[in-house]
Order: sequence, then C-alpha cells, then structure tokens
Amino acid sequence: MRALIQRLFGPPPSTSKDDAIQRLKIVLMHDQCDLSPAQLESMKDEIVAVMRRYVEVDQAGVEFRLSKSDEGVALVSSVPVRRVTTRPAPSPS
Amino acid sequence: MSHCIVITSGKGGVGKTTTSANLACGLALNGHKVAVVDADIGLRNLDVILGLENRIVYDLVQVIEGECRLKQALIRDKRVEGLFLLPAAQTRDKNSVKPDDMRRLVAELKEIVDFVIIDCPAGIEQGFKNSIAGADQAIIVTTPEVSAIRDADRIIGLVEAHDLPEPRLIINRYRAGMVSRGDMMNRDDILEILAVPLLGIVPDHEDVIISANRGSPIVFDERSPIGAAYRRIVSRVEGNDVPIPDFTVETGVWSTFKRWMGLAPAREVV
Repeated sequence: MRALIQRLFGPPPSTSKDDAIQRLKIVLMHDQCDLSPAQLESMKDEIVAVMRRYVEVDQAGVEFRLSKSDEGVALVSSVPVRRVTTRPAPSPS
Repeated sequence: MSHCIVITSGKGGVGKTTTSANLACGLALNGHKVAVVDADIGLRNLDVILGLENRIVYDLVQVIEGECRLKQALIRDKRVEGLFLLPAAQTRDKNSVKPDDMRRLVAELKEIVDFVIIDCPAGIEQGFKNSIAGADQAIIVTTPEVSAIRDADRIIGLVEAHDLPEPRLIINRYRAGMVSRGDMMNRDDILEILAVPLLGIVPDHEDVIISANRGSPIVFDERSPIGAAYRRIVSRVEGNDVPIPDFTVETGVWSTFKRWMGLAPAREVV
C-alpha cells in the first residue's frame, strides 16, 4: 500500500533535517582537516594539471570531495579519463 | 573526593548558564555542597539566572587578586542548603585571569565543597582556557542546530586536547514535534556526528524563560517536566543510571484523531 502511494506521489521530499545533516558533515570535514573549499579547489586544479601530462582528462566530470570514515578524513576523487596520451608532456618546470 | 565540572559549548546562547544553574541547584537539592563559578568575566549572568544579583559584594577577580578572601566572595543561596555562587567581575575582562589562577581557585574551592561547577563563556579564547584549566571533566551543551553542533565539535576536540576525559553532551531546546516532522535533527543524528556520550536532553519550553525572569532555576519546580529533565541529568552526574526518555510525539492519523476528540492529551513537547 505504502509502496503504491509512494509510486503515485513520487519519493518523499527531503526534509530540512536532511539538509542540516548533509551541510554539517561537509562543514565538519573541512573544519577537521583545516582545508577551505577554495584550497580544495586549487588542490584539485593542480592535481588535474599533473594528470594531464599523462592522460586526457574530461574536466567537466572531475569530482573531488572529502569523505569521513572510521579511519579519518579521506580525499575521494573521480577523474574521468578520455584517453591515455602516448608520450608524457614535459613537466612545466 | 571533590569534582570540578566545566559547562561549555563554543557557541553563545545555547544554554550554558541555565544548565550550570540547574545542575548546581539540583546537586545541592540532593544534599551535595556545590560552588558554581561564573567564569564569564565582563558579561556576568549566572547571578541573575540564580536570582542572586542583589547580594554580590566581591567577585572572582577580586579573589584572584587578593582583595578579599574566597569565603567572603561566595554568596550562599538561601533556598537550598550548601549552594554557593562565585560571581564574575562585570567591569574587567577575561585577560584579568590566567589558567594557573583558576587552577589555584578550583583547588581551594574543592576543599570546601563536593562539586565545583564552572560556567564557561562562549568562544575558544582566554575565557575558555581559564574555565577548563581547573576542571576534571566537561559537559558540552548544544542545540539541534547546524551552527551549535559545529561549534560543539570544535570544543570537543579542544577539551580532549587538554587531557580531560571524554566530555558528555546535553542536547538543549529539543523540539519533539519538529523532530517528528523531520525538521530537526534527532538525538541519533547528533550523536552520530559528535560521537560523545549523551548526558541528557532538555526539551524547549517557555517555562525556562519564565524561570529566568523570576531568577528561580526550573529544577526547583517539582511539577515541571523540564525540571524533571534536569533532575535526571543531576542524577546521571551523580553516577546513577537513569534512562533518557524518547521525547517523541505521536503523529499518526489515529492519534491525531484521538487528540482531536479529546481522548488523548494535547500535543506536548515533552
């Protein structure tokens, strides 16, 4: 019955509590590792720049985020690769 | 053996002073000798919450600077045996006191009472450092809000960095109706994020404001459910195993109908 109602009206909208929890978790991860969103963004750009020397990266699909586990805070990244460049480009230095 | 407990939160306005007052009064009601110290120098408030503002002669800074003896500055609460307030100075600032001063003060207080309760100011600066200097354990007060929980998380880290044992948490201003609608984080959400043991939950209630207006902490009110919540917290501080109630409201169609028909009590926050 409940399933039928859910199918008719779609999934229940997310409550403001869920928003609070999500926002808190992200804020706390940044607080705990002392890394601001701007710093994270600049780290992302630098890492992607290094990867570009070896592979062709789909910039739009790059995802960097901090995630919390029992072990501590981890940086989880997903970088879609279009193809591998045959010869590494020279290092910018 | 005497014990010193600091009540802290990071964020202001979450109920540290109210918690300190009720905990101190509750412990004294149970027969303990208690000194409650207002460490919010420059912004003293514990005196008005306790209704003792007209009896202040000396303050904490005068004791530390040797202008008076500790016992001269302690205000004895006439409502309950064994409760003393050490008021903060109003015209000085937090830098008038150093952590070592507080350590000495707490040691001296511990010789005359069973419990020293320290009402910590908001923030993480000098006032916080002074407040936790002499403490044996910390109680963190938070409300079910993003900003208060964020600050609580920071304070928990700082308390643990000062070699105090794991702090315990009081969730203040809990609104069961909002929790059941999914518009407020519940106890499990908060405990999952903060990962410290829960000491108690105090529901949001207008009686708390009324008791502050009167200068009579709500723990003295035998009929108040909020007073009962504080009395349970006091008992847990004494080391008793008192279960924490669920504070939920029934939301189903049938219970709403029953309420509507007057067959069930009106929706209550407790």
